Amino acid sequence: MRFLPLVENEVLKLWKRRRFRLVLLILVALIGIVVIARVEGQRRFGSRKDWRIDTQEQVARMRNWLRQGRLPETQGRWVRFEIARLQYHLDHNINPEEATGPLFARGFANFASYLLLHLLAIAFAADIVSSEFAEGTVKLLLTRPVGRRRVLASKLAALLLAVGLTVLLGGIVAYVFGGLAWGYRGWDAPVLTGFRLAGETVDSSGVRAVPMWEDAILVFGLAWFATATVAVIGFMTSVLLRSTAASMGTMFAALILGTILPRVASNWEFQKYLFVTSLPLPDYYTGSPPPIAGMTVPFSVVVLAAWALAALGVSFSVFARRDVLA
Amino acid sequence: MTMAEPVLSAEHLTKSFGGRVAVSDVSFELGAGEVFGFLGPNGAGKTTTIRMLVGLARPDRGRVRIRGIDLARDFTRAMAHVGCIVESPDLYPYLTGRENLLHFARMLPDGAAARIPELARLVALEERLDDRVSTYSLGMRQRLGIAQALLGAPDLLILDEPANGLDPAGIREIRRLVRALAAERGMGVFVSSHLLSEVEQMCDRVAIIHRGRTLATGPVSELLSRSASGFRILARPAAKAAEVLGPMLAGLPEPDADEAFLVSAPAEAIPGAVRALVEAGVEVFAVERRASTLEDVFLEVTGGETV
Repeated sequence: MRFLPLVENEVLKLWKRRRFRLVLLILVALIGIVVIARVEGQRRFGSRKDWRIDTQEQVARMRNWLRQGRLPETQGRWVRFEIARLQYHLDHNINPEEATGPLFARGFANFASYLLLHLLAIAFAADIVSSEFAEGTVKLLLTRPVGRRRVLASKLAALLLAVGLTVLLGGIVAYVFGGLAWGYRGWDAPVLTGFRLAGETVDSSGVRAVPMWEDAILVFGLAWFATATVAVIGFMTSVLLRSTAASMGTMFAALILGTILPRVASNWEFQKYLFVTSLPLPDYYTGSPPPIAGMTVPFSVVVLAAWALAALGVSFSVFARRDVLA
Repeated sequence: MTMAEPVLSAEHLTKSFGGRVAVSDVSFELGAGEVFGFLGPNGAGKTTTIRMLVGLARPDRGRVRIRGIDLARDFTRAMAHVGCIVESPDLYPYLTGRENLLHFARMLPDGAAARIPELARLVALEERLDDRVSTYSLGMRQRLGIAQALLGAPDLLILDEPANGLDPAGIREIRRLVRALAAERGMGVFVSSHLLSEVEQMCDRVAIIHRGRTLATGPVSELLSRSASGFRILARPAAKAAEVLGPMLAGLPEPDADEAFLVSAPAEAIPGAVRALVEAGVEVFAVERRASTLEDVFLEVTGGETV
């Protein structure tokens, strides 16, 4: 029995159930609102004088600092980067104080990694297995000449496909809307990457400048990885609880806990091993402080991967063995 | 009926849920071209048995073989020969009938999708095939469920309460379809039901299940002959009639609500009994022959509990 037709089935059901279309609609509406809010916010400031003159003055001032040679080496690197960045904006005629389509698109991965993407992932994951129990169709699905593990694997494949598509489409919608508001250019603007918080100070030894598109790919990769982990854990609750409502409730509670814990109990070290703590991964990759001091991007990737693998192990062994009495 | 290799054989199936025994030591065999009835009241263990037959539930003890293939050992190869409806014909309500059939055809070897037009005609759903299943009546869902079960051209068809939710015309239609599938395509059909008349009219052989145990198994005709045919005698006054009949017919029961006697006796005993009643001055209003039904068999084997 070939595997692809099974995945086709699951994708078809996801689509026909209209859940996917609803999620896309939510994405479009939400991103639209964020863009409008930011454009309106900027308008309040009113237009300032010519930004080019401002920026040229800034660049000249910083060049002066470097020429005088009195800056310590760490600050010197910062200044040199800042000059390069502003020069890029001058060369491409983009106001450095203003957002750009690409900048907003990259930022989407950051703000959407606090809840939005994960909630959407749960919307798919929570019922991909339990709805078959609720509708009684599981009795047909599991009495066909296809092993239970294969059936479950096809559902997992469809789920990961839907999650990947959601993250990707989120980025595309953010770019389209952001570009509409601030212009579509700026993919090769230099951005700094590689910050690490070492205790109280920023360790900038690993900092380097990369073009925006390269940074965006990494940020979106991390956002996808975190979202896929949430989806897989939601998948497990869907298998275990066999009820969409119960599965969604459990996952929402976990996500909310993840946003509360670092605020109310930031010195409880153990929470860094919880998957929810690692979810805003793209945000602290781009320089925000991690939820718990000492957490690094590789550490979070390992934590998330361990949770995802454990969830898959539980899902498959339970689903393959359990009696179906729905 | 003896067969070289049964299509389905259940051996000593036993299943309990948390200490309550749902099915206990159930065994039977089903051959090609045979319609096998699984008769019992609701809650007798029919659906639990069916779940074990199709691999949804694992028996605590016992084994299921389909065309000789052990279901627990080689699930996919065994299930390739089976089409089934378990408990109720649940299909995806948000898909059309055709989409549902295509969905399940994708879970079968190539060629199953090509049978869809023929099957739609067989179950008379051609005109509604492109409507969503949520708009179907229960009878239409039942028929779509049967079409789904037939997609893989199975050797064994398992139908759980196929008469549920159907009107009399629909029941007749299903009965005709089941008989035709067995006769023309040589399919073994397993039908569970709590309706005696249904099983009696549709099946060749029957197993009676009660409280998780099979109480009697055999060809319908054999089971019927096991329960002696009887007569209903309505005579007045009833007390006097009892006095006369008592010595003549062994085991005369108490009169029923209409003060009639239901006697099981050979036909030769009847003329003498009637003569004796008349001579004793008892007025005989009616003497009717009662054909024995599966209901009698059922009452007999379950010790008087009704279905």
